[in-house]
Amino acid sequence: MADALAIQDLVSGYGARDVLRKISLVVPANGFVTVVGPNGHGKTTLLRTLSGLVKARSGRVVAAGEDVTGMAPSSVARHFAHVPQGDMLFMQMSVEENLVMGAWLEADRALVAERLEEIYRLLPKLAERRRQTASSLSGGERRMTGIGRGLMTGAKTLLIDEPSLGLAPIVIEQVYAVLAQLKALGRSILLVEENPARVEDLADEIHLLDNGALVWSGPPKELLARDELLKTYLGG
Amino acid sequence: MDLIGSVVVAGLTTGALYALATLGLSLVWGALGMLNMAHGAMLTLGGYSAFVIVTRLGLPMPLGVLASCVTGAAAGAVIYLSVARPLLARAPETFETTIMIATFGVAVALENAILLVFGGQPFGQPVQIAGTLGAGGFTLPNQNLLIMVTAVLLMLAIAAFLKQTKGGRAIRAVAQNREAAELLGVPSGRVYLLALALSGGLAGICGLLVSSITQLSPTLGADPMLKAFIMCVVAGLGSIPGGIVASFGLALIESFVQYQFGARWGFPVLLGIVILVLIVRPSGLFGRNQVRRL
Repeated sequence: MADALAIQDLVSGYGARDVLRKISLVVPANGFVTVVGPNGHGKTTLLRTLSGLVKARSGRVVAAGEDVTGMAPSSVARHFAHVPQGDMLFMQMSVEENLVMGAWLEADRALVAERLEEIYRLLPKLAERRRQTASSLSGGERRMTGIGRGLMTGAKTLLIDEPSLGLAPIVIEQVYAVLAQLKALGRSILLVEENPARVEDLADEIHLLDNGALVWSGPPKELLARDELLKTYLGG
Repeated sequence: MDLIGSVVVAGLTTGALYALATLGLSLVWGALGMLNMAHGAMLTLGGYSAFVIVTRLGLPMPLGVLASCVTGAAAGAVIYLSVARPLLARAPETFETTIMIATFGVAVALENAILLVFGGQPFGQPVQIAGTLGAGGFTLPNQNLLIMVTAVLLMLAIAAFLKQTKGGRAIRAVAQNREAAELLGVPSGRVYLLALALSGGLAGICGLLVSSITQLSPTLGADPMLKAFIMCVVAGLGSIPGGIVASFGLALIESFVQYQFGARWGFPVLLGIVILVLIVRPSGLFGRNQVRRL
């Protein structure tokens, strides 16, 4: 079985500056891989480059065996369910309309209805709120809607950008409980996160991103004991 | 009593026309952040298309209506492909400004092309229904009724399209968050093309209707375009229902002012209301307080 995602020497950035400097990593099928690092070190840029929102300058992105480097976001969409930072919901649409938009590429209406039922089973709060406008939701409900919308795409590989951002600790726990369920359901997940402790029990492998390059990779339990962690977060 | 009735009929008729023009303009403005200064020229094109088909070629009226819609839609598509798409690709960060100037150029070119082909003298719009409906002292010209009914039907059709169809949902999604829509597989370029063609088709029919109660002239679309712009500003960007409410409301006010104080006071009062609204609610009556960007 091909890896869900394989990245080789990926370079990208904005204007004259490279933000990602030769990133290589692999997410195996049904793997849960996390990239951690402080703000401003390229985590979001990494996911945006994978989805084609930022053009790769060199290197390769292979999704489930297919080279998707340089493709437009709308073409990469069938490979990745990208849950972007800050949710990027359709604010004037209802929760259900947001979810249905997630399945935009799916022509089979019965399948869309089936997925919707699955999402409501997984995230029952959304079923209660289905008619409500996205702009009227709380932060946690917005995050869940964003995740649900990503799942509606049906893509096997999830790219999740800081799901804990701006949420209360108890809500963060709920969000991570959902991610653990998704892992159990067989999805492949690439997650970027600022706080390594959050993924300690969840991730198979963790990569430390420092100034656009991966400086350490290994199992999460070991990272917490490494010097690189302190150096990356505190400088030195 | 019958005088008040005529004033209301006049107000509702111009309201319906403003609403149609506003709908087309705000559809594209909302979806692309593009103020299409050539919207008025698309109205003019629609009016003249029906004239050519019916008066010059002697074909039946329904074909004239179809021609105005198709010509408008084609003009919208050409404006996207030849003007908006290249500007968007080259410098997205300055698009909102450059597209205004570029489409203004398109408007001037189209207006002068029409002047060159048809000359400056006005023509009558052949596509209309004569006669009036009346009861008691109240009369309603058939053409005014036709305008109101057509406008309402078109607005309902567009609302259903935006709400129920995949293409319509894609337009709303791109308008609300382009990147998120792309991440879900929506090809934003094709959605923009669709929005402009739709807006052009609406403009074509609107131009036909406007010319049916006025006259065909190369500057036919200028006034409805200006009014549509005013409605968008009063209602607040991105609120299509708000634009329609503003269209009927302001047209009725304009109509009453013209009746009570003379025709020349209509426009100044309208502008006065715009200024007041912007002082009290800078983002418009129904506007969202948010920065839009592409």
